[in-house]
Amino acid sequence: MTLISAGTADWFDVEGTVPSPKRARRLKDGTLGLIVGLSMLILLLLLGILVPLLSPYSIDESIDIPFLPPNGTFWFGTDGLGRDVFVRVFSAVYLDLGVAFLGVLIPFAIGTVVGIGLAVSRSKVLNGVVGSIIDGINAFPLLVLAIALIALLGPGLQSVVIALSLTNWARYARLARTRAQVVKQQGYIEAAQTLGYSKPRILFKHLVPNVSSETTAYALSDLILVILLIAGLSFLGLGAQPPTAEWGAMISDGRATLQMAWWPVIFPGLALCWAGVSLSFIAEGLTRRERDVKS
Amino acid sequence: MTAPTHSAEAESPSEPTHGDGPRPQSAGEKILRRTGRAIIVAFWVMVVAFMLIRLSPGDPVTAALGGEAAPETVAALRKTLGLDVDPFTQFWQYFTGLFHGDLGQSLISGVPVTEMLRTNLPVTLWLILTTVTLTLVISIPLAMVIALARIPGLPYIFRTLTAIGLALPSFLVALLLLYQFGLVWGIAPIFGYDPTFPANMQYLWLPALVNCVVLVPVLSRVLYSSILDTLDEEFVETGVIRGVRSIRFYWFYVLRPSLAPTVVLLSYVMGVMVGSTVILEMIFALPGIGRELVTAVTMRDYPVVQGIILVFGVLVVFLSLLGDIIASILDPRVKLS
Repeated sequence: MTLISAGTADWFDVEGTVPSPKRARRLKDGTLGLIVGLSMLILLLLLGILVPLLSPYSIDESIDIPFLPPNGTFWFGTDGLGRDVFVRVFSAVYLDLGVAFLGVLIPFAIGTVVGIGLAVSRSKVLNGVVGSIIDGINAFPLLVLAIALIALLGPGLQSVVIALSLTNWARYARLARTRAQVVKQQGYIEAAQTLGYSKPRILFKHLVPNVSSETTAYALSDLILVILLIAGLSFLGLGAQPPTAEWGAMISDGRATLQMAWWPVIFPGLALCWAGVSLSFIAEGLTRRERDVKS
Repeated sequence: MTAPTHSAEAESPSEPTHGDGPRPQSAGEKILRRTGRAIIVAFWVMVVAFMLIRLSPGDPVTAALGGEAAPETVAALRKTLGLDVDPFTQFWQYFTGLFHGDLGQSLISGVPVTEMLRTNLPVTLWLILTTVTLTLVISIPLAMVIALARIPGLPYIFRTLTAIGLALPSFLVALLLLYQFGLVWGIAPIFGYDPTFPANMQYLWLPALVNCVVLVPVLSRVLYSSILDTLDEEFVETGVIRGVRSIRFYWFYVLRPSLAPTVVLLSYVMGVMVGSTVILEMIFALPGIGRELVTAVTMRDYPVVQGIILVFGVLVVFLSLLGDIIASILDPRVKLS
């Protein structure tokens, strides 16, 4: 290492070999990303409350002038049915993020319970069968399984949440199982056992918190995927149905007339990207900070 | 070139070899084991595809016919779907049918599902192939330049841009690029497909490029940090001391050992990528199995849905297998789990 940084080959950058100044800056990088991401998210959440409250127009109200370009009164213009795009875009904030949150929370809970259950159970048959089903489900693209389940459940946001709960848990279960198997071997679990702590106490006070810290980190990046998935399903006509103000459905709605009017597509699209990018920055900031603490 | 094997021993604790101890595996054995595992997973994929229609909430027959269908019609459809016998017989029929190349037939058109796959699957496979090629062609030079060029602030901009790219919805990107390239500039066809090889690229380059918007950030990021890790390795130092230069140095000492984690990751994100082909096929009106799936879902054509999701699952299993095998060839230190 020293050989390289001593100047034998100074034409490549070996990150980590330069100790203090760089590390200090990286810490700031992570924090900056976190702050930017959080502010973006808070701004979106605030507008999600304020715009529908303060706007003189409602989401379903038509002003009978379709495709009015963005102007002083209608900041985002009006869509094909003469509805105010501005109020529709921000009314969708809590719907999109809320459904995505549920679509992560339920699989997260199921997966963590199943994964830890498998790791602590001694039954080889149970581990073999459930483990194989987990592998089987995980082999499928999430979108494809969700689409297939919606075929049975019928389109709608409720079906999307059910479909996500039935499929996405397997990813969390695999993660939780692997993690729980590692945690089980740790010294502090052994110490707790030696001290004669009860099994439930070890399980809930030691095993569960240590496993879920890892799955929570995954859940954050999964939330981005799920937001995009829900909007994607609605775009395909399988999620939120037309009169609902939902980003994917709005984009799908304005798609046919994109050549004539860009605003009914671009503004919901920007909101969707804004939500995704804010979470991506938060996730990025958190991982970079964690890496700095660890190293 | 000296093969970078020194850390292999460090990873696997050397135990006295008795029975199933971690003895070194030959490359062939490793690949064989991994293939065996893939076949087992493929079997479970089949089981999941089978159970999906039968165990999930909602009955396919009532869903297809509606609540007030005549009992005879319901019974007839049950028979067509093979739902009139007990689940074990159903599974046996399904399982043996698979090996005879029988996936049932469409409820709407009566065309055998295998027949539909024969025309539609190649389109999806071409799209995947084009996407992977394009992704590698963009990611590798990008990660190399950012890791090796010592431009201050560049890695920071790179990380920010990739964080943004990761969060972009592919359907929106597809829509806007199709609008810009297809309608405004007129350099990409807005629909249609030509199944012969060089001609189909005309229809596939834009959808593949859209897929890259999400894939390139993921891959170039991993490759970038992997190159940085590789530069820390002793064999790179040895290479520098021995004065190995130019292409030989970049390929054997820097890129090749760094590629393995990237290829493994590529096989991981294959699921997401294959999933997004569904949306892209819809937007670009490509006659692949993804578009067929969405059509079948809206028509409630269950045999087609079941057949296509099975193909999607098996496709991902074997693409991952392929990725892992390539990774182990590139870097013998890679463990095939």
